[in-house]
Amino acid sequence: MQQQRVIVVGGGLAGLAACVRIAEAGIPVDLFSMVPVKRSHSVCAQGGINACNDVARQQGYSEYQHFDETIYGGDYLADQGPVLEMANFAPKVIDLLDRMGVPFNRTSEGQRDLRLFGGSLFKRTHFSGATTGQQLLYALDEQTRRYEASGLVKKYEFWEFLWPVIEGEINGLEGDGRCVGIVAQDMRTMQVRAFRGAAVIMATGGCGLVFGKSTNSIICTGGAASRCYQAGAWYGNGEMIQVHPTAIPGADKCRLMSESARGEGGRVWVPRKKGDNRIPKDIPESERWYFLEERYPKYGNLVPRDIATREIFDVCVNDGMGVNGQNQVYLDLTHKDPEYLTRKLGGIMEIYEKFAGEDPRYTPMRIFPAVHYSMGGLWTQYTPGNYAPAQPHGEHKPGMPVPVDTQPGRGMALGAPNNMMTNIPGLYAFGEVNFAYHGATRLGANALLSCIFDGLYCGVSVANYVTQGDPADRPIDRVDQALFDRVVQQEQDKANRLLETADGIAPGDDANPYLIGKEMGEEMEAACTVVKTEARLVKCLDKIAELRDRYARARLPDAAAWTNQSLSYSRAVGDMLVMAEMIARCSLLREESRGSHYRTDFPDRDDTRFLKTTVAQFDSGARGVEQHRVSYRDVRTSLVKPRARTYGKVEGEESQKPRGKPQPAHAGS
Amino acid sequence: MASGETSENAPSMTSIQRHFLLRRLHSLTGIVPIGVFLIAHLTTNSSLAWGRFALRGKGDGLSVSEGGVKYFQHEVSWINEQVPHLLLIEIVLWVSIAFHSILGVIYATSGRGNVKQYAYQDNWRYSLQRLTGYVGILFIVYHVATLRWGWTFLVPEGTRWSHNFSASTLAAAMQGSTQGYTAMGVAVSVLYMLGVTALVYHFANGLWTAAITWGLTISTKAQRRWGVACAAIGAGLMLAAWSALIATMTLNYDKAHAVERQMYIEMHGETAYLEYMQKKGLQPSGDGG
Amino acid sequence: MIATQESTKASTVRIRVKRCDGPGKASYWQAFDVPREPGANIISCLQWIAAHPVTVEGLKTTPVVWDSGCLEEVCGACTMVINGKVRQSCSALIENIAPNAGDVVSLEPMSKFPVIRDLWVDRTRMFEALKRVKAWVPIDGTYNLGAGPKESPEQQATRYTLSTCMSCGCCLEACPQYLLEEDPKKWPTSFIGAAAMNQARLFNEHETGKQLKKDRLDVLMGPGGQSDCGNSQNCVKVCPKEIPLDESWAAIGRSVTIHAITSWLRR
Repeated sequence: MQQQRVIVVGGGLAGLAACVRIAEAGIPVDLFSMVPVKRSHSVCAQGGINACNDVARQQGYSEYQHFDETIYGGDYLADQGPVLEMANFAPKVIDLLDRMGVPFNRTSEGQRDLRLFGGSLFKRTHFSGATTGQQLLYALDEQTRRYEASGLVKKYEFWEFLWPVIEGEINGLEGDGRCVGIVAQDMRTMQVRAFRGAAVIMATGGCGLVFGKSTNSIICTGGAASRCYQAGAWYGNGEMIQVHPTAIPGADKCRLMSESARGEGGRVWVPRKKGDNRIPKDIPESERWYFLEERYPKYGNLVPRDIATREIFDVCVNDGMGVNGQNQVYLDLTHKDPEYLTRKLGGIMEIYEKFAGEDPRYTPMRIFPAVHYSMGGLWTQYTPGNYAPAQPHGEHKPGMPVPVDTQPGRGMALGAPNNMMTNIPGLYAFGEVNFAYHGATRLGANALLSCIFDGLYCGVSVANYVTQGDPADRPIDRVDQALFDRVVQQEQDKANRLLETADGIAPGDDANPYLIGKEMGEEMEAACTVVKTEARLVKCLDKIAELRDRYARARLPDAAAWTNQSLSYSRAVGDMLVMAEMIARCSLLREESRGSHYRTDFPDRDDTRFLKTTVAQFDSGARGVEQHRVSYRDVRTSLVKPRARTYGKVEGEESQKPRGKPQPAHAGS
Repeated sequence: MASGETSENAPSMTSIQRHFLLRRLHSLTGIVPIGVFLIAHLTTNSSLAWGRFALRGKGDGLSVSEGGVKYFQHEVSWINEQVPHLLLIEIVLWVSIAFHSILGVIYATSGRGNVKQYAYQDNWRYSLQRLTGYVGILFIVYHVATLRWGWTFLVPEGTRWSHNFSASTLAAAMQGSTQGYTAMGVAVSVLYMLGVTALVYHFANGLWTAAITWGLTISTKAQRRWGVACAAIGAGLMLAAWSALIATMTLNYDKAHAVERQMYIEMHGETAYLEYMQKKGLQPSGDGG
Repeated sequence: MIATQESTKASTVRIRVKRCDGPGKASYWQAFDVPREPGANIISCLQWIAAHPVTVEGLKTTPVVWDSGCLEEVCGACTMVINGKVRQSCSALIENIAPNAGDVVSLEPMSKFPVIRDLWVDRTRMFEALKRVKAWVPIDGTYNLGAGPKESPEQQATRYTLSTCMSCGCCLEACPQYLLEEDPKKWPTSFIGAAAMNQARLFNEHETGKQLKKDRLDVLMGPGGQSDCGNSQNCVKVCPKEIPLDESWAAIGRSVTIHAITSWLRR
């Protein structure tokens, strides 16, 4: 019998970590990616990766504390077992990456250096210059290349995932169906082809492009996740989208601007008069509105990230007071000595100069919040570990005895085949594309960790599934070829349908897929990110319905049978619209505020009704918004008791203390 | 796909070692013996310009130019008559130059210069290194063919160089005649100017890049420092070369010949001089005094 | 069209694109007038063209095909030849490269790699070169075996800089010694270029990576290796990450020299 292969879709941290772990188990892997894996979006992560370490441990920190912080930061929306396992495993991830040659910053003694990050009192963030994500990705890319050279990994770069191949019936968790492969398209030759896989791991990242200009890469459309969703995979907590308060709005995307710009004295303001288009230095002090300083006299510009995000958003979107009528405010450092700025913030100054074309030492920076991370994603299962306290614990304080050790399998059973498996057997979701670890908002420097943890820890689960699970009894190579041919035909038909519309669209045509995509992004950003209300979300759903209607008539600008990018993009727009509608619907139905989901009409957390995972299920038989059947599943909170997520802030004037650590959890620089 | 190709088509250890040996020998021969010879040659030549000051009293009554001729002739005679194993040295030199030239052309044609797009100083250096290599080869062939092998058909008016009358015959070859400049003489002089300049540049720059190739200078700073040193070496050689050329180009054949004649007669006698002149097909001159 | 005539004023920038419909097809130029907008870069212009694919002559055409990813100059995808020089298009701001009315921006695909379509080229050879020099640390596997080797901050700083190479290919495009080679069979003996050589240095400098140093240096001794470098040093000038590639060439030169002599003496 031919050895069964595993398919990994996506070559970011999660996908590559999975590749390496599974290849190490001797199972051949086919790795699919729309870009050479070295160019995956993981390269964009700057800040670092969290893990308990020896220094912090001796100061009273622990893996358990890391776990507690993550749960608390995520506003209790994450199932607790997998998070405990991740925190326990984190130091091993760091050691492994260290062995792989990641140039982590060092102390004078040659130890790995650490920095302080949001959501913790302890230095627990490992970093490699200002491009930690890039360095981690490269290390895994190199190890993958090693397996590629030895023949265990076969890369399909510039191949686009189109559809999972499912044998049998998928009906939530009840059906007898399983995933037996994928259909993908070569983005150069346009060949559509099926691939058999005993297991398929989706590691396709987030869906930032659904929100138009985000901090995400151009490939982060969420298209692959949407296709799995439409094929029957559940989607969890779609409404949980993290927005970073300070990004540089560009004509093509938004780029992060580190919080340290405010830390060094940056002042946020807009002209007091709406439509005041004078250049900033011509606007006298009295005609500037320092709205953060005015509204939060004590914290001033250093209000926590989520508040800054909401206030900036409010001033621009709701009051229309943005600079030059656009969604942007000034972040002003020009009152500081230019030399001081160069010394303290050189790197940031350069980034701004490079991409905004202005020198922030002399011209105020223009910034705006930008969509950054999707905590929600494909719904996944797991087998709980063997740690089961009689009662959930309360808040864990530094130095308190740790209730559980860090042996593997405490929070999530090691090697259990269903770990991070979607509701479709054989179809896994690793990394940002799943919903498992970050609850309602993500702590800074936890994303890299969750991706690599999934790949390494749950990669074992995949290997076990392939060698001992269902595919061992019913080998994939015996699946009827007709099934694969059928899905290939389905995708070919879909492509042909789009290609046939290519008769040279006129610019500005309302059936132009590029313009439909653009409008979708603008609508989603305005309605479905920082501040949500019922009225706005209803309007948003109407708009999406209109866009879906227009999309049905979409016409392609290119009929080429070779390297047709507009086919790829237009197809993704259709899938993004489905995703957008689902996210908006989930946002509408969650009538509370939790983490990054902020409803002005329901400003409080409501544990009674909503300490639950939103599960969206696609009903291809229904129409429009009814396609998204939303239900709720209890969050497993058996380890830690939910408590108010205040970060020590006291209500009212008393709360306006000078800024101190720890920071709220709207992190992820 | 391609991954298989990489390992299947990987070069064998033998071809790796051969490649490395050829490349490094190419680099080495440029310095030893060619570079060393170039230094010796240009230093010797420069005595045409500066020799008068090195005669230490023996040059009394001679002009700067005549003193140069005397010293130069002295040097040339020493090389031709007293340097041991001259033939062996010449063969080694010839093999080295041929080796360096042939490989050089092969290596140079493996690149495509792009100074138009990337007009960086270093990129100009790169392109000039290749250009001066080509010019240098052509010049060396002409230089040796005319002055060493006596291919007089390439010399205006067919002057033949003689190591016993080295300065005067050289001047005649470069000026186009024994009676001063001819049109062809101007062309030959320009060729010499260009050829020598090219070779000096090629050597100085080669010296600089060799330090990178062999890994002697690693940091950018070290490379820059060595670059200054190479530029200084180049400037020194350029000074030597140009001064010799200018001295030759402005040399009066008759006056130079008179100095050389006297030296020859002192050594071999009057009769030998006349015989020698006849053998070489040169016009003997009478006793100027 | 009236709209087109209006838009040819100073409010637009003209983008000329060297296009090619596929391998083996002839290249041709098309020009587009793209509205200037604040913060516009080449990416946003190409995105605008994709939504409005009409040339300055009013000819309806197809969207330009190009490669891009992070748009933050950290993934390396969007490299192309802009106004004659290679660079990333995401960091090419219109107000910097074409500040004045009437300025024209020309976009060409990189010339050292086979064109797939329009501005998109196939850089597979770069990644194959990483295999050629075994650009990885030969770890024993992913099981928990403790921390990696200690390292001084200086050594970390050196390695970090070398490690920021994003395989964009600028160094190769600008290199006069690195030429287009479409036949993968010839890649193992063709000039390796700065990017992969620099990775060899990176891994030779790592305590565990060192174990493959001999293999890497053997490759770099051979055809297409270190000594094929012509020292034009264009690589270091065009590197967007400012990696000291000139120093890497010299460091590898030293390693290769020592390696050759010692292995010759050892035989």
